[in-house]
Amino acid sequence: MSTSDADHRAVADFVYREARLADEARYAEWLALWTDDGVYWVPAATDPGADPERHLSHIYDNRARIETRVKLLQTGIRHSQEPASLMRRLISNIEIEAAGDGDLIAGSNFILAELAVQARRELHWWAGRVTHRLRRVDGQLRMSRKTVVLVNAAEPLPNLAFLI
Amino acid sequence: MIDYKGLVQDDRIHASLYTDPRVFDDEMEHVFHRGWVFVGHASEIPRPGDYVTRTLGTEPAIMVRAGDGTISVLVNRCRHRGTMVCPADRGHVRTLTCPYHGWTYDLRGELLGVPYPGGYASLDKSANGLPRAPRVSEYRGFVFASLAAEGVSLAEHLGPATRLIDRSCDLSPEGQIELTAGWVRHRCAANWKMLPENDSDGYHLGFVHMALFRTIRSQYQRVVGDERSIKAVVRDWGRGHIEIDWSPGYEGLFEWLGSASGAAVERFVAAIERRDGPEVARRRFREGPAHALIFPNLFLGETNIAIVQPVSVEECVHWHTPMFWKGVPEWNGRLLRMAEAGMGPASFLMPDDLIVASRNQQGLHARTSPWLYLGRGLNRETVDADGRIVSHVTDETTNRGFFHHLRAVMSEV
Repeated sequence: MSTSDADHRAVADFVYREARLADEARYAEWLALWTDDGVYWVPAATDPGADPERHLSHIYDNRARIETRVKLLQTGIRHSQEPASLMRRLISNIEIEAAGDGDLIAGSNFILAELAVQARRELHWWAGRVTHRLRRVDGQLRMSRKTVVLVNAAEPLPNLAFLI
Repeated sequence: MIDYKGLVQDDRIHASLYTDPRVFDDEMEHVFHRGWVFVGHASEIPRPGDYVTRTLGTEPAIMVRAGDGTISVLVNRCRHRGTMVCPADRGHVRTLTCPYHGWTYDLRGELLGVPYPGGYASLDKSANGLPRAPRVSEYRGFVFASLAAEGVSLAEHLGPATRLIDRSCDLSPEGQIELTAGWVRHRCAANWKMLPENDSDGYHLGFVHMALFRTIRSQYQRVVGDERSIKAVVRDWGRGHIEIDWSPGYEGLFEWLGSASGAAVERFVAAIERRDGPEVARRRFREGPAHALIFPNLFLGETNIAIVQPVSVEECVHWHTPMFWKGVPEWNGRLLRMAEAGMGPASFLMPDDLIVASRNQQGLHARTSPWLYLGRGLNRETVDADGRIVSHVTDETTNRGFFHHLRAVMSEV
């Protein structure tokens, strides 16, 4: 199936907005971007054969656990994100394709600057490729799957308690 | 020479133990080279030629299985120019070949040959193998090594604490655990000792993890209540092995899993009942796996296995992987999800522990008032029939057990 220019614009708008809400710790608005069957996956390997049913991941959240993750951040006493990291991410190399069922699959690269203000106030750089699976729900794009493959997925990582 | 008997007293310790690079160097020698350290689990390298790379303290090491099935722990450093022979985290090889000049070793580290040998008048192959840990020993698949040729045996080092390892392994119907899910490594900007101390600290939960308790129901919530109503205990098993035992607070089965029911539970219970009888099986499922630190670097983290890796006086890495019970693979998915919830950089518990640890590390650099009082619980701890010191779960019996053993090891000439 082909994709239209309008699809490209809509996907880019979604991906940028999702990034901004995560960067700005706007947790409730970010949570509202998910479908009810959302799956949020951050594998602990860059190997495309990584299987979350057999291998340990950094994050493999079903919808209920995505909500727990957000609620935890909203308590205001999640020490690893209190105060929230100061973040900005740059997104590029967006490519989209249509899945057979009408969903859109969007791939993009990102670089994220994170000032981890909670203790040593260090600047952490994160980078990777994100795949969003997007579906129209009541006319709005929603994400049913977000997969983030960090370039350093298999390395020792500092805290990743923010929304990546 | 640092006076460790001065820095570690019976009820207080000096902050320089966490901040002085000379203390760190002494620990690498006395604790991580001379003593027994956990390296990995036999299930990680099931076939001859399988290897994983680890560290013994800060020493790069290879744990590899040879053709006869024996496991060697080798220093990951070619005899020729010091190159790391195995740069990857894991792999499968027929020989260990240095990528620099092609020196080739067998799977026990013996030098097989060097290219262009005409350049050496004589080369004693037997004296030029990869340096190896002279002592490697296993307990129920847990592989430990010591870089010292002599010293206490692994059995002496573990002592009665083998019962803690048994408690975790005996939940497998086949009596064996498997570590096949891969490791996640979490960087911590604090001295390595903070990790074993925090992993066995029952006092911090209601503060560091209150966000989680407010968000979801957790089996740990019972330690947030009234001090007198808490039944969980800490134990000092001797030789630095320390434990939190939540099970006195558990009434039903599987409370340590949050809860569990259904066909998978029935099969699991039936399998253990067949082996151990209903009474022992019931006890095992009520108590759950161990929550204990095997000195110095192996943490039995209930359904996880964790390793404490020292990096420098100011930095360490916490490794974890879920413990799969051989014989009940239908539990692996749940164990993976529990591992991701509890440990690792994106989990619901450890990031909060490690940010507090890094704040500790910063605070400990303050020079005023350098002593840390560790006397909590001295007024109420007791010695049980097995000689273990037992106290209220919030007491510092565990910190004292850890540091008093550290003092003994560090004071050895």
